[in-house]
Amino acid sequence: MNGNNAMAEFKDVVLDPAKRRHYQLAWLSTVDHKRIGVLYMLTGLFFLIVGGVEALVIRLQLAVPNNNLVAPDTFNQLFTLHGTTMIFLVAMPLLFGFVNYILPLQIGARDMAFPRLNAFGYWCQPFGGILLHFSILAGGAPAVGWFSYAPLSETPYSSSPGVDYWAIALFVLGLGTISFAVNTIATVISCRAPGMTMRRLPLFTWMNFINSFLILIALPVLNAGLAMILIDRRLDGHFFLPFRGGSAVLWQHIFWAFGHPEVYIVAVPAFGMIAEMIPVFSRKPIFGYEAVAASTVAIVVLSSLVWGHHMFTVGMGRALDLFFIITSMLIAIPTGVKVLNWSATMVGGRIRFGVPMLFCIAFLIQFTCAGLTGISHASAALDWQTKNSYFLVAHFHFVFVGAIVFAMLGALPYWFPKMSGRMMSESLGKWTFWLWLVGFNMTFVIQHVLGLYGMPRRIFTYPDIPGWGWMNMVSTIGVFFMGAGSLVMIWNIAQSFFRGKAAGDNPWDAWTLEWATTSPPPHENFLALPPIHSRRPLWDIANPDRPDPVVGDDQVVLPDHNKTGILAFLFSEVGFFGVLILAYLYFYAHPHPGPGPKELDVPRTLVFSVCLFASSFTFWRSEVALHKQRRGSMLGWLALTIALGAVFLGGQVNEYWKLFQSGVDLSTNMFSTAFFTLTGFHGVHVLIGLITLLIFLWLAWEGDSVSAKFHAAFKCVGYYWHFVDVVWIFVLFTIYILPLLR
Amino acid sequence: MTTYQFFTTAWTWNSIVVSLVILSCLAYWLAFRRRGRPLYFAGAIVVFLLALVSPLSALANGYVFSAHMIQHILLVLIIPALLLLSLPRAFSLYSFFDRLTYPLVGWAAGVGAMWLWHAPSLCNAAATSRIVSAIQTISLLLMGSLFWWQVIAPREKQRLSPAAAIVYLFTACTACSVLGIILTFAPVSICPVYQHPVDRLGMLSTIRSGWGLTSDRDQQIGGLLMWVPMCAIYAAAILAQMARWYSPSQPEQSNA
Repeated sequence: MNGNNAMAEFKDVVLDPAKRRHYQLAWLSTVDHKRIGVLYMLTGLFFLIVGGVEALVIRLQLAVPNNNLVAPDTFNQLFTLHGTTMIFLVAMPLLFGFVNYILPLQIGARDMAFPRLNAFGYWCQPFGGILLHFSILAGGAPAVGWFSYAPLSETPYSSSPGVDYWAIALFVLGLGTISFAVNTIATVISCRAPGMTMRRLPLFTWMNFINSFLILIALPVLNAGLAMILIDRRLDGHFFLPFRGGSAVLWQHIFWAFGHPEVYIVAVPAFGMIAEMIPVFSRKPIFGYEAVAASTVAIVVLSSLVWGHHMFTVGMGRALDLFFIITSMLIAIPTGVKVLNWSATMVGGRIRFGVPMLFCIAFLIQFTCAGLTGISHASAALDWQTKNSYFLVAHFHFVFVGAIVFAMLGALPYWFPKMSGRMMSESLGKWTFWLWLVGFNMTFVIQHVLGLYGMPRRIFTYPDIPGWGWMNMVSTIGVFFMGAGSLVMIWNIAQSFFRGKAAGDNPWDAWTLEWATTSPPPHENFLALPPIHSRRPLWDIANPDRPDPVVGDDQVVLPDHNKTGILAFLFSEVGFFGVLILAYLYFYAHPHPGPGPKELDVPRTLVFSVCLFASSFTFWRSEVALHKQRRGSMLGWLALTIALGAVFLGGQVNEYWKLFQSGVDLSTNMFSTAFFTLTGFHGVHVLIGLITLLIFLWLAWEGDSVSAKFHAAFKCVGYYWHFVDVVWIFVLFTIYILPLLR
Repeated sequence: MTTYQFFTTAWTWNSIVVSLVILSCLAYWLAFRRRGRPLYFAGAIVVFLLALVSPLSALANGYVFSAHMIQHILLVLIIPALLLLSLPRAFSLYSFFDRLTYPLVGWAAGVGAMWLWHAPSLCNAAATSRIVSAIQTISLLLMGSLFWWQVIAPREKQRLSPAAAIVYLFTACTACSVLGIILTFAPVSICPVYQHPVDRLGMLSTIRSGWGLTSDRDQQIGGLLMWVPMCAIYAAAILAQMARWYSPSQPEQSNA
């Protein structure tokens, strides 16, 4: 779309039915990272309105004491949907949209490494969102909070299907997010332009690259938890049902082992945006690139160690509390390093106070406040007083809105010119900024005080206690400012898209590669790439007499993207099976009456296991034969692999059948719930592997096995197949061998 | 015995340990007098004495599981790292030992040192038998050295590339965290000796009631020590690798 006649073209497209259909298809079937990025952002924007209206109703209900605008149960549904929507359907798609659009441009790539996987990841978002909100029509939305604490979320206490929709929706969204992370990692590792070495990556790219690993660590943990709660609710399992021997606290551990890293999953991309904008608007390179980059790695490692600070009030015991206090305080160091570096970047710079920079400055101040109240929650003693009060509500809204949303509001006018070819209106942008700044602080600063006055979270109304009424009213009025700011922003987007000033390639005099191409970029992104020797290639071109210091040598090592992708995916599977195995071990260590591991036929399972392990060997032989181009031998070994896998699966079906015959099924006791879940998920993985191998057998039979693509794909299937076998080693040991050692 | 009495008297000046320390100091002085980095070596010796002579060792010897865990961490992670750092830059191994320095061997040694010695029977045996305990100490030092060799071998070219080293350290951290999590949340005693210690020094009542260290809480702290501070050590090493990666002399490396 050419920026100059967007309005004419828009009319043309909307009014001509044939063109309209073409454009609909072009957008619905797109695999172009730029269009997918825009789709992500539009989805996020749509759900921002949904979640915003939910927030508005919540605040209206709380505006005055003893209000009865909405019923208590409706209120519970509202805050559950609001939380889930804002995190999974607003923050993540909006951030991923920016990443999808900008990251390939920043590293000079043609597209993401797997364009179709990218489309899959995107389409998980709207479908997940529809699933979640469909629950409203299907008997009531979930009313259990965004963390869905057990046992409230179990069937005896939440009998409407709301929680089921919640869990399935999050599972779908989780799959989309994991595919996005796999894609990002493969793109950064395997699709960089000549000269774009790993040490020259722009910070936005670097942070999202590192963040993708955090996604692969955290999201599978949630997915395992969701699978377990669905098994509880749909198949009558008891993972989190205390009166059947399950553990409600286990759900909290699983949820927060995901939930705390999740905070960083949405914060780190926002950090990346800030790290791009502040240097450009301060007209100075970032202060301490290395420290900012390395602190991101520290955040990723540490953030997986701090989830317990969400659980101080559960009563984990003093020892656990103490260690989680220490780790939670430690993570303030790398975040502090970042804030310090951003501030130091501004010192001595010739700062342009454009709209993006205004949001950055507000981000810095508000994020620091959020961090300080966050540290207060790291102290268990204080946390006991403020947890479950509005102090906590205020704290995490300072993180999510004051930091992350502000970063995105700044990133929008920063990158909008690149996406549309037109500048956003500066004056309307300032209106948005001031409305949001006033509204946000009005709503949330006072909530700290309310919390310290003792107002608890998740109450649908409150008695007329002195002070509470007017403070809640102030908080509610602030929402209208933010709403007005959002309307101005949407108007700004719409009118700038049609009438905005033409942007040119590089309106901000920025230095990263996305500004080296036209605005909007052509379908193939770059017609020609500039030479890259430093972290600011466009600076070097603009200032040939004083270029940046060259970072390292120019040689770029690009491993095969198929291999990178499958390894990243398998890395995420480790977390999924890890949680299931640990859950099994937990219930194994707390034995309950009824069937236990002694019911299992170990020798028979060992025979079937040998078949599975042998299939790894036969697959390797098949790979060797393929390499040597001996088609017959390759087909034979592959068929044998499939046969061995099928024997293993048959053995498992047989084992299940015998257990069913003797009256043991998933709902019998804790052992059976955990046993069927763990072996069942492994079996599903074997089944998927078998189907894939059958497809490959068919392809090879048809004579497709000579192409290089086939070789690469076959290798990837091999990684998957071997991985499934390795998982079985652990499952076999945990379930069958461990009881023998006792 | 009161806490004060304990910390003043429970120093076990084992003649073998002391003579080993003296001998190794002499050997180090003779071999690397000029080129070595004696501060690291001194650090290693101090930590070694702390682990095997100080009251910590008396506690670890069948009394307190968490003290045993601290000793374990010192022997696997701290002392070998300090020893490797104390070697001169040009130091190299005999070709026989060179074969042991594959990354996978190092990784398996580092993680195995944690998992293997916490199998209940081995853990019990090490806490009760002096011979097994000696074998444990030596094996932990060796396995720890094999593990760290990949990361801080004296010659730069024998080390893993920074990106590979980060993967190496991160996966090791995860593998040890899993064991730490299991120990922390296990309802049964992993090392039953520590549940009902033989009260050789008359310290048990002080530990249990004075320090408030019940056997359950003791194991929990032990698990947490393996989980959190150990991961902090790995995380620090990962950050050191980042610093190495960004140092100007480093050639470009790939991550996969």
